[in-house]
Amino acid sequence: MIQILFSLVFFSLLFIQTDNRIHERHSMVRHQIEGRGLRDSLTLKAMRAVPRHRFVPEAQSRNAYDDSPLPIGYGQTISQPYIVAYMTEIAHLQKNSTVLEIGTGSGYQAAVLAEITDTVYTIEIVKQLGESAVERLTSLGYKNIFVKIGDGYEGWKEHAPFDAIIVTAAADHVPPPLIQQLKEGGRMVIPVGAPFFIQTLMLVEKKEGKITTRSLMPVRFVPFTRSD
Amino acid sequence: MKKLYASIGLLSVALIAYQIVLMYFFSITQWYHFAYMVIAIALLGFGTSGTVLAFSRTWFIDRSSELIPLCMFLSGTTMIIAIPVSQTRFFQFDSQLILFDQEQILPLSLTYLLFFIPFLSGAMAIGLAFIKNPEDIGRLYCANLLGSGTGGGIAVVLLWILFPQHLPAFSALLALVSGFLILPKHKRKELFSIGILSLIVFAVLVRQGGRLPQFTMSQYKEMSKSLLLPDAKIVISKTSPDGLVQVVQSPVMRFAPGLSLNYHSEVPKQIALFNNGDRYGGIIRWSKSDTSHILDYTTFALPYVLQHHNHVLILHAGTGIEVAQAITRGALSVTAVEPHHTIVSLVKNEYREMTDSLFHDQRVSMITVDPRSFLLRDTSTYELILFPMIDAFGGTMGLKAVKEQYGLTKESVTQMWKKVSPDGIISFSSWMDFPIRNPLKVLATLTEVLEEQGIRELTHHIAAVRSWGTITFIAKRSPFTEQDIENIRLFCTAMLFDPAILPAIGIVERTRYNAIQETDFFTLVDGILSDRSTSRLRPDGRRLDSSRSIDPSGVFDRNDIYERYGFDVRPTTDDRPYFSQFLRWKTLPYLRQIYGDRSLPFLEIGYLIVFVTFAQVFFLSLILIILPLFKIGWKSSGKTWTVLFFGMLGLGYMFVEIVLINQFTLYFGHPIYAAAAVISLMLISSGFGSYFSRQWSITNVTLRNITGAIVFMIIVYAFVLMPILIFTISLPFEIKIVLSLLLIAPPAFVMGIPFPLGLRLLSQRHEDQIPWAWGINGCLSVIATVLSLIASVELGFFVTMILSAGFYGTAMISNFIVK
Repeated sequence: MIQILFSLVFFSLLFIQTDNRIHERHSMVRHQIEGRGLRDSLTLKAMRAVPRHRFVPEAQSRNAYDDSPLPIGYGQTISQPYIVAYMTEIAHLQKNSTVLEIGTGSGYQAAVLAEITDTVYTIEIVKQLGESAVERLTSLGYKNIFVKIGDGYEGWKEHAPFDAIIVTAAADHVPPPLIQQLKEGGRMVIPVGAPFFIQTLMLVEKKEGKITTRSLMPVRFVPFTRSD
Repeated sequence: MKKLYASIGLLSVALIAYQIVLMYFFSITQWYHFAYMVIAIALLGFGTSGTVLAFSRTWFIDRSSELIPLCMFLSGTTMIIAIPVSQTRFFQFDSQLILFDQEQILPLSLTYLLFFIPFLSGAMAIGLAFIKNPEDIGRLYCANLLGSGTGGGIAVVLLWILFPQHLPAFSALLALVSGFLILPKHKRKELFSIGILSLIVFAVLVRQGGRLPQFTMSQYKEMSKSLLLPDAKIVISKTSPDGLVQVVQSPVMRFAPGLSLNYHSEVPKQIALFNNGDRYGGIIRWSKSDTSHILDYTTFALPYVLQHHNHVLILHAGTGIEVAQAITRGALSVTAVEPHHTIVSLVKNEYREMTDSLFHDQRVSMITVDPRSFLLRDTSTYELILFPMIDAFGGTMGLKAVKEQYGLTKESVTQMWKKVSPDGIISFSSWMDFPIRNPLKVLATLTEVLEEQGIRELTHHIAAVRSWGTITFIAKRSPFTEQDIENIRLFCTAMLFDPAILPAIGIVERTRYNAIQETDFFTLVDGILSDRSTSRLRPDGRRLDSSRSIDPSGVFDRNDIYERYGFDVRPTTDDRPYFSQFLRWKTLPYLRQIYGDRSLPFLEIGYLIVFVTFAQVFFLSLILIILPLFKIGWKSSGKTWTVLFFGMLGLGYMFVEIVLINQFTLYFGHPIYAAAAVISLMLISSGFGSYFSRQWSITNVTLRNITGAIVFMIIVYAFVLMPILIFTISLPFEIKIVLSLLLIAPPAFVMGIPFPLGLRLLSQRHEDQIPWAWGINGCLSVIATVLSLIASVELGFFVTMILSAGFYGTAMISNFIVK
C-alpha cells in the first residue's frame, strides 16, 4: 500500500514538474498568438503542446512564456512565440509534409513543426547548440526530428526536395542550394535582420518554376502591425 | 616646484592616454556608444574631486604633500587593474541586453564605479595641487594642459605599435612615475613603500604580457558570431589608431549580399575582416581573367547594365570587391578611395595572391583618405562614381547616428554629380531597412541635388532597382534613353528584381517578383520625387498635422514627407553630416503608438544613448555642484560668478573643440588624426596661454576683456574657418599642417588664459571656493562633450560654434555682475 501511494505521489510530482506550466502555455497561445489573428488549428495545437520552458536556459525559465525572444547563449536567441507560430502557419504544413529547418538553436521550432508533420530535418552549425538540442529533443521523446550538426547552407540533399524550408537564422543572401531543394509549390520562410534588431519575415515561393518573394511582416518584441 | 610641474604633466599624459585606451576597449568589447557613456561617467571623477576637496579643503591642503603622490599611485594602480577586473563575471555586462534585462544594470553600475576610480584619484592629485598653490596656478594649469595635449598624440602613436590590451600599462607607469617624482622628504620611506607595492602590482600584471586577458567581446558582435562557425579562427590581428583589425577565416563563410534568387552557381567563399569586432568587409578570391563577378547578380550591377564605363571612381572601396567588379566589367581605370590604412595594406600584401594583385594593378589607383576630402581635392572626371552599400544587413539600430558621414551630404553628392562625364552615372546602394529610412534619405539627397543642378524631369535621370533585400539608385547626367530603360527592365527580369523608379511605372511592375507589405514605400518614393515647389498635391489647402505619419492612401509631396514622416529623411549637409540620424522628437509619440514602448529604443538606439548619457551626466553633475554649498554656505557671496564663470568656460571650450575636430576631419580626411591633432594643438596652445596668464593683472575687467576677445574670435571663426579650409584643401599636406597650427593656436592660446586667471582672482576673494570652481569646470566640461554632440546633430556646426560664443559671452557678462 505504501509502495502504491509512493508511486502515485511520485508520478503526480513528475507530472507537475514536467507540465506544470500548461496554463502559461495556453495563456501564451490565447493572448500572444490567437490574439494576433493566427487561426491555423494545427499550429495552435502544436504551440500548446510544446513545453517552451524546457528549451530556454535555466536562468531564463521564468520568462519562457513572455512575449519576447530570449537569449540561449552563443549570440543566438529562441524566437518570440508569435514568430515561431507565424513561421509555422505560413509554411502551410500537412501531416505528410517534409520540412527542413536551418538553425536548430534550442530545438523549439523543430519541436513545434514535429507536432504537425511526420518528419522534420534540422541543421545547426554551432556544435554546442546542436548537441544540447539533440539531448533536449531526445529527452522530450521526439523521434521524428533528425538533427544534423553542420553547415545548413548546403541544405540536406539526401532528403530533398522539401515541402517547406524554415530558416531561423538570418543571412545576407538566400543560399542557392536551399532554393534548389525546395519542391515545386514549396514555401521557404526566412527572417531578414539581426536577432535583437527589427527583422522582416520573407516568404520565398516556387511556382511553375518561377521564384517570387513576399516580405510578410516586420517583427521584434511585438509584431509591427499597425494598431490603427 | 619644478618636480610638481613635471609630475602634473606626466599624470595628465597618463589620464588622457588612458581615456583613449578605454575608448578602444569599450569599442571592441561593446559598441562605441557604450564607450562614450561609460567614459563620460568616469570623467566626472574630475567634478567629483572638486566636491570632495571643497568639503575638507584645509584637511587636504595640510596633507597635500603626501596625498598628491598617494593619489597618483592609486590612479596608476587602478589603471592597470581596472580592465582585467572589468572582464570578470561580476563586472561583465552586455550592452545588447541592457534594454530588457535588468540583471545587466548591476554589472554596468560596477563598471562605472571601477573606471571612475583612476580618474577621480588622478583629478584629486591635480585639483589638490591647484588649491595648494593658487598663486602658481598659471604654471600648474599649463603643465596639466601640455601633458593632456601630448598624451593624446602619444596614445595615437602607440596604437600603431601596441595592441590595445597592452596600453593601460603605459598610462599606469606614467602615473606611478609621476607619484615617485614628488615624494615628500618627511614621509619618503612610507610613500616609497606604497609606490613600490604599486609597481609590484604593475610588474606582475605586465609580466603576464601576451597572457593578459583578451578583451571579451559581446556575444552579439558580428565577430563573436563568426568565431562560432566551424573551424573559424582569427588568422591576423593588426592594431592601428583606426581600430583593431582582425581577419577571420572559416570554410563556411560566403559572400553574396542581396544575391539574386536566380543565381544557381557556387557562391564564393570569403575571408571576413572586422574592425573592433564589427564587420568591415570580406575578401573573395578574384582573378584578372574572371569574366563575371558575384556582384553582377546583385542590384550593384545596375550602373553597368546601362553602358560600359572606362573610368570609375569607387568611394569607400573597403576590401576592393567593387573595384574587382569594375575591372571585370572592363574599366580602363579605377580610382579606389578607402580611408582605412590597415584594410588596404592587408589586401595589398597578405591577400595579394588571393586578389590577384588587384590593388597593384596598373588600372587601379588606391588612395587612402576620406572620400569626401578626396572629392574636394580631385579634379578628374569619371564615367561612373559608385558608393558602396549604405547601412549594414539587418540594420544598425542607429549606432552610426552620431557618426559624421561627409560622403553622403548634399555637397558631396553635388561634387560627384559635377565630376561625372556628360553621360556619366552616380550610383548608391542600400539595404531595404524597416521602417524604411536609408533608401528614402538617399533618394531625397539625389533629388534635391539634381533639382539644384537644374534637372526638372527627375525620373528621366533617376532610376532604382529593388531586390528582395537591397535597392540601388542611379542618377545619370543625360536623360535615360529608351535603350537604357529597356536594359533596366531586362536586367530586372533576368535577376528577379523589380524596378522601383522608372518613367511611368505602375505598382504591378514594381512588385512583380518581390512583393512588400509596406506599400507606403512607393507612395514615399513618388512623394520625394514630386516637385516640392508646387502645392498641387494639396489642392484643398488642408492644414498639415505634423503629429500624424504618412497616410498610405494619400498622395504627398516632398515637403509633406519631410514634415510628417516618422523619421527624418531630409538630406544632410556638411554643416550637419549625420546621415544615419533619423530620429525626430516630434513624431516620437506617434512612433510609440505604432511600435510600442518596448520596441522604440531599438529603432534608433545610438542617438537615444547620447541622451541617456546626457541625463546621467547632468543629474550627477547637478548633485556634485550643489553638494559643496552645504560646506561653503548657501549665502556666501560670489557664488553666482563662480558658477557662471567657471561653468561657462567648461562649456565653451568643449563646444569649440568638438566643432574644430569635425571641420579638420574634413580638411585632413582622417578622423582619428584630425581629432588627435586638434586636441593636442588646442591643449598645448592653451597651456602656453595659461603660462602667459601669469603676467596679467587680476581684475574682473581683465577677465571681461579676455572673454570678450574670445567671443569675437569664435564668431569670426564660425563664419570664415570652413571657407578657408575648403579653399586650401588641395594644398600639400605640410602646408596644411602649418596652416592648421596658425588657425588653431591663436584662439586656443587666448582660451587658455581665463581659467587660471579666474582661479587666481578667486583665491584673493573666496579661497574656499577654488575646489568648487575646479569641480564646476570639470562637470560642465563633461556635460559639454555630450551637449555639443547633441547641438551639432540638431543644429549644425555653425550654430554650435555660435552657442560656444554665447557661453563665453555669458562668462564675460558674469564679470559685470560681480561687485
